Order: sequence, then C-alpha cells, then structure tokens
Amino acid sequence: MIEDLGRELGAVGIRGRLRRRIVAEFRDHFACDPEAELGDARAIARQFADELGTSRSRRAAFAAFGALGVAGIVYTVAFVAANTLGRSDLQPRSVLLAGLASVTAVVAPQVAFVAGSLALLRALRARGVRALPAGELQVLARRTSLALACGLATMGAVALLGYEYAVHTGMAFTGAAIGGGALLLAAPALLSAARVRATAPGEVGDVFVDLGALLPERLRGDPWKLARAVALVVGLGVWAAGIAMADPIDGFLRGIVEGLACLGGFALFGRFLGLRR
Amino acid sequence: MKAEVLKGHLDGLILAVVATGPAHGYAVIEELKQRSGGAFALPEGTVYPALHRLERAGLLASDWSDAAGRRRRVYRLTRSGKRELGLRKDEWRQFSTAVEAVLA
Repeated sequence: MIEDLGRELGAVGIRGRLRRRIVAEFRDHFACDPEAELGDARAIARQFADELGTSRSRRAAFAAFGALGVAGIVYTVAFVAANTLGRSDLQPRSVLLAGLASVTAVVAPQVAFVAGSLALLRALRARGVRALPAGELQVLARRTSLALACGLATMGAVALLGYEYAVHTGMAFTGAAIGGGALLLAAPALLSAARVRATAPGEVGDVFVDLGALLPERLRGDPWKLARAVALVVGLGVWAAGIAMADPIDGFLRGIVEGLACLGGFALFGRFLGLRR
Repeated sequence: MKAEVLKGHLDGLILAVVATGPAHGYAVIEELKQRSGGAFALPEGTVYPALHRLERAGLLASDWSDAAGRRRRVYRLTRSGKRELGLRKDEWRQFSTAVEAVLA
C-alpha cells in the first residue's frame, strides 16, 4: 500500500518533500498497527491533491491580486507622470515599438485587472471549501495566469515607453522592475498550484457564481445580456469622462471603442475565464 | 456512524483530540475511536489529508520526532487552532441544544 501511495501521489503531482512526508506518516501508521485499514491508495492521493490544489489555487489568486496592486500603483504613477509631462513634440526611437507599447499599456492593464479581480472573486467565494471541482481550479488558474501575464506585459510596456520617448526613463525602468518583480514573486504560487492534478468532479460556475447577489435580478441568467449591460455602462462612463474634460466628441468615440472592447473581450476570453459555459 | 455524517465535523473532532496534547496521526485516530466508544471509526486514511489541511490553515503545527528509529510527524494545536476549537464548540452546543429541543 505504501508503494502504491507513493506512486499515486506522484501521479497527481505531489512530489518531493511533501510526498516523502505523507509516505513517512503512513509508514509510521502501519508500524503502529500492521493490520490498519487505511483505504485505497488512489482515493487517498486524490483527496490530498483535491484539497492541496484548492488551497494552493486560492493562495495563488490572492498573491496575484496583491502583486497586481503593486503593479497598479506603478502604472498609475507612470500614467500621471506621462499626462503631466504636457509635451506633444516627443518622438519615439521606433514608431512601431512605441505604438505596440502604447496599445499594450492601454489594453493589458484592463485585462489584468478584470482577470485578477475575477480570480479573487472566485477564490473568495471558495473560502471554506475543502476541495473545489477540478474544472473550477482550472478556471481559477487561467484567471490568475492571464492576470499575471497581462500585468507583466503592462510593466514591459511602461519600461519600453520610457525608453522609446527617453523621458523619465530611469523612473520607468525602476517602476517596471518593482511591479514586474512583485508579479514574478506571485508566479511560484501559481506554478505550485498548477503542478497538482486535482480530479474532484463537479459543475464549473459562470460569471453569476462570481457575482452572485451583487447582480440585479434582471441581469442574471444570460451572460451575454450581462456583457452588453457592462459594455454600455463602461461606454457611457468613458463618454461622461470625455464630457467632464470638455471633449464630448472624443469621449463619445472612446466610449464606443471601450464598449466594443468589453464585448470583444467577453467573446474572446468569456469561455476561457469561466464567465460563460 | 457513517463517514458522510462525520465528514462535516471531522476538523473539529481532530482539533479537540490534539487540544489534549501533541499527537501523531495514528494516535489521533485511536483517540477518536476511543473517546467515541468506537462510533467514530473513520476510514483511517482520510484523517491524514484532514491533518494536512488543518496545518495549511494554521490551526495545527507539526514537527518530526523519532519513535523507535522511525520518523513520526507530531501535531500540536496552534493559538488559532485553540480559538477555532472554541468557536466550533460553541456552534455545536447551540446546534445540539436546538436539535434536542426539536426532538424532545
């Protein structure tokens, strides 16, 4: 049984020190009672994996959100610094790279924030749950990894923009290093969660599981209806900001782009992030 | 008693056993059986994942010790574990009082 257990633990991704510890505990148990009925090795290994995968995935989501907070501060400082510069005569070293960095600096932080928030929401909802279904853990891992990847892309874009326009370059590099470092520090938690292969069966929830009672009754049930409502609210918000900055036409156009981006993001990532089935 | 019935209470029972003093897995299981007069005869292998889970939650802590040349993992209650046990005891008293009242 001990040999079987060691093998089964390896099969579910529990290796190294933890596997040695579990095997030693079971060996000690058998030494105390050679007739002990410890149960099926595969079932025990799976129970370990399901519970370990759940707690590690939750921890990874919390760590990623914390790291995104640090990256968010860096991004805000960079954004404010760029806007207070007030110079429109600056030329980049490479138009292509600067354009790419600009698009990334606009899109990636939004995706990172949404994915990170969704991961946090799902992790909070799962507090106190011993073992989430394997499908839920996969959704949690996808959200966390997308959040970290987009966060890192944002920090890369901040550094690249600083280099391309040769302004506040040192500050951009330092900020990107701090933000990127925080995000990289959160990555091992995600990797250790991904190594465990949970097998617990069960339904995978959608966006309504995440938001639960926060949503008004009318918006529940149809994920696309919710996506359209969110896109509308975001678009109107951006338009309102444009009006407040005395530029209603530009605000209106940006509002349409933001709203369409919301719908595009939902179409592209909706299934991947477990927002719709 | 069916394992399913016990499942929801297993963590509290383990905390209560370890509260009386540090113990290794086998001793925890034996103590559970003994104190319950044999009613809590769990599939023994399921107690170890629970011990690990409680340790991850910071309610238990553990260290290696030597027992007749064997390595043995001994668990002890942490301060958070003590608090949690108190909460669970209160919850259980309220619940059992309510059930008693209805059944009576």
